[in-house]
Amino acid sequence: MITLNPKQESIKRAAKEFVAQTIIPKAAAYDKSGAFHSYLLEAAKPTNIFAMAVPKEYGGLGYDSMTQALVLEEWGYGCAAMGTTLSASILSMESVLIAGNEDQKRRYFAPMLRGEIGAFGLTEPGAGSDVGAGSTTAKKIGNEYVLNGAKCWITNATFASVHLVFAQTDPSQGSKGLSAFIVEKGTPGFSLGDVEHKLGLRSSNTAFYAMKDMRIPAANLLGREGDGMKIAMKTLDTARPAIGALAVGVAQRALDECVAYLHGRFPGKPYPGQSLQFQLADMRIQVHAARQVVQDIMLLRDARQPFSIESAMTKTFCTDTAMQISAQAVRLTGSYGYTSELGKFMRDSKIMQIYEGTNQIQRLVIARAVLAPAPAVPQALKAGE
Amino acid sequence: MTTEMNDKQRLMLESAKAFATERLDGVAAELDHSGIFPKSLVSAMAGDGMMGILLPEASGGSDLGFATYVAVIQALSGTCPAVASILNQHALTASIIAQWGNEDQKSRILPAMAKGDSLGSFAVSESGPAIGVGPDALIARRQGKKFLLKGSKAFVRNAGVADLYLVFATLAEPVGAKGLAAFIVQAGTAGMTVGPSLETMGLNGCPVAHITFDDAAVNEESVLHDLSAGAAIAEQLLYLAAVAEGAQTVGIAQAAATHAAGYAKHRVQFHHPVAHQEAIQTMLANMATDSHLAWLGVQRAAALIDAGEPFEVEAAMVKSFLARFGSRMMIDGCQVEGGLGISESAPKGIREALPLARLFRDIAGTTLLDAPADFPEKLIAASLS
Repeated sequence: MITLNPKQESIKRAAKEFVAQTIIPKAAAYDKSGAFHSYLLEAAKPTNIFAMAVPKEYGGLGYDSMTQALVLEEWGYGCAAMGTTLSASILSMESVLIAGNEDQKRRYFAPMLRGEIGAFGLTEPGAGSDVGAGSTTAKKIGNEYVLNGAKCWITNATFASVHLVFAQTDPSQGSKGLSAFIVEKGTPGFSLGDVEHKLGLRSSNTAFYAMKDMRIPAANLLGREGDGMKIAMKTLDTARPAIGALAVGVAQRALDECVAYLHGRFPGKPYPGQSLQFQLADMRIQVHAARQVVQDIMLLRDARQPFSIESAMTKTFCTDTAMQISAQAVRLTGSYGYTSELGKFMRDSKIMQIYEGTNQIQRLVIARAVLAPAPAVPQALKAGE
Repeated sequence: MTTEMNDKQRLMLESAKAFATERLDGVAAELDHSGIFPKSLVSAMAGDGMMGILLPEASGGSDLGFATYVAVIQALSGTCPAVASILNQHALTASIIAQWGNEDQKSRILPAMAKGDSLGSFAVSESGPAIGVGPDALIARRQGKKFLLKGSKAFVRNAGVADLYLVFATLAEPVGAKGLAAFIVQAGTAGMTVGPSLETMGLNGCPVAHITFDDAAVNEESVLHDLSAGAAIAEQLLYLAAVAEGAQTVGIAQAAATHAAGYAKHRVQFHHPVAHQEAIQTMLANMATDSHLAWLGVQRAAALIDAGEPFEVEAAMVKSFLARFGSRMMIDGCQVEGGLGISESAPKGIREALPLARLFRDIAGTTLLDAPADFPEKLIAASLS
C-alpha cells in the first residue's frame, strides 16, 4: 500500500466528505431524471475542485496526479456520472497543458478557476476508435480558421465554457493532417444537437454538436498544424488513468453496497457460506489490485517517467474490474439488487469500458508493447535444447 | 435428448416467432420506457394459445410440453424479454397447479388460466435469510376451516396484475417436520395488499412488488396438494423457473449476438468493417458459443421434464452456467457496438432503435441469484457420486 502524505490524506478526507454530503444524496435522483444538473457545479465551486489539475502558477489547485486520483476515486464512489463531468473537463485541459502556449493556457484555464467546465471534442460519427478518419475540417483564411463538421458523444458539450476541438487542416494527410483548436462557448456557427439518453452515466451530459463556417482566431491553434493526432494521443494517455480511478470508486461502492445488503439479509450470521464468502473475497482482491494499479501509474506520472502502456493497462483493468464486480453485486443481491441503486453501478461501468478509448484499442496498444521487442528467453527454454 | 417437434408444436413455435417480430419488436422499446403492464399484448398472446402451452387438454390447454414452451420463451425474449417474464410467471404457476392440484382446483382454476382470462403469479421469496425465518416471514395460522395469512412476500412478479397468486407460507403449527404450504390466493382477498411497483433495472412492463398480508383469510380448499407439500412444490417451481429463465437468457444473448454481428459488418473503422477484426470475431463467437451451449442445457432439462424424469441437476447447471456467463454475453455485445451499444435512444439519422442497452439491463434480471446462500452448485456437487 502506498503511503499518502498528510496533505493527500486531508484532501482525500475532504473529497470523501464532499461526496457524502453533496453527491451521494443526489446521485440516484439525477440518474433517474437523466439530465445534467448545474447543482454539481454550484456545489463544487467553493472547493475549486474543477481547477484541481490547473497548475498553481495559473491559479489552480495544482494537485499532483496521485492526489487527483484520490479525489476521482471518491467521486466515482459517489457517482461515476458526476465523476465523469469532472474527469472529462480535466481531459480537455490536459491538451492545453501539453501543447498550449502561455496565452492559451491562461484563456483555457480561466473558466475552470471559476468552477466552469471544458469538453474534449475528438469523436465523430465516422471516427470512433479510428480517430484519424474524422471529417471535420479547419481551413485557414487570413488570421482565422474556418471549421466545418460534427462531433458526437462529447461529454460536457452542452454546458462547457471551453471546447477542445480536433479538425483536419489537411484532409489528404489523414491522421497527420489533424490539428487541435480551442473553441470558446458562444462562437457563431457552433450549434448543439441531440443530448444522448444513455444506459449509464446518465446525469453526465453527452451531446452532439455541429460546426458550420465557424470562425475562430488562428491563435486558437494548439501547437502547429498536423500536431493534432500527437496531442490527442498524449492527452488520452495522460487522462486515461483518471477513468481507472473513477472505476475503482465504482467497484468499491458496488462491493460495499452488496456487503451491506448481505449483512441485513443474514443478521447474526456473519459468514453466509463459503461460496458467497469466496466470491466476496475475490471481489475485494480485485478492487484492491485495481487501486494499486492506479496508484502505481500516478507515482510514475508524478515522477515524470513514461507511462503510456501503464495508462492503457490501468484503464482496461480498472474498468473491466468495475464491470465485473458491479454485475456480480447485482447477481448476488438478487431481486433486491435488481430494484436498487446497484443496477446503476453496472450501467455506469459498461460505458467506462468504452469511452476514452475502448478496452479493445487499449489491448492493441498493450499487445504491441508486449510483442516488441521480443522478450529475452532463458537459454534452457529455447527450442531444441 | 432433444426430441423432434410435432406439427402442433412447430406451429406454436412459428406463431410465437411471428408474434415476437410482428407484435413485440416494434413496441419493446416503448414498453421498456413506460413500464406499463402490456395488457393488450398479453391478451394477444392468449389469443395465440401461449398461456396454456403447459396445461393438459382436459384443462383447456394445448399440452405441448416444456421443450416447446422454452422455445417459445426463447423466441419472445429475442425481442421483448419483459413479456416473456410475464408469461413465465403465469405459465409456471398454471403448470404447478396442474401437477399438484386436486380435480376441483384444476377444473375451477385452469380453464381460465389456459385462455389467459386469469393471469397467474407465484410468491416464494421473502426478505429474510430463508423462507419462514425473517421478521416479515409469511405465517399461516389455522382458524377453524380457514387459514389466516400474516407477513409478506418479496419481489413478486406480475404483482398487482395477476388474478391469482400461488403463495407459499410457513405454518404456525407445522405438519410433522414440514412447515411450508402453498395456498392459491385470489387477487383482492381481504387483508392482502400489493405494494407499489418497484423500479427495476430492466424487464420493465412486468411489474414487481412486495405483497403484505394482514390476517388475510383463505379457506381450506385453497391449499395446494396438502399441508406438507409446500417445500417440494416450491423446489420444483424454482427449478422449472431456472430452466425457463435460462431460455430467456439464451434468447436475449442470441438476439444480441445477431444484432452486434450485423452492426460489426457495417461499422467501418480503419478502412474495414470492424467485423474483420479478429478481436471482434472472438467476442461474437464467444457470445454465440456460450448461448448455444446454454441452450443445449435448457433443451436437455426440458426434455427430462417432458419425460417425467429428474431434471433438477440439469436445471441447477443451467442456472449456475448462466449466472457466470449470462451478463458477460451482454457486456461484450454492447462493447461491439461501442457508443451505440450504450445508447438508450437512437441518435437521429444514424440507425434504427437499438435494443442492446435495454437487453443489457434485461439480462441482469434473468440471471439473478435470489437465494445466494442456497446456491445451485450445492445440488450439482451432491449429485456427483
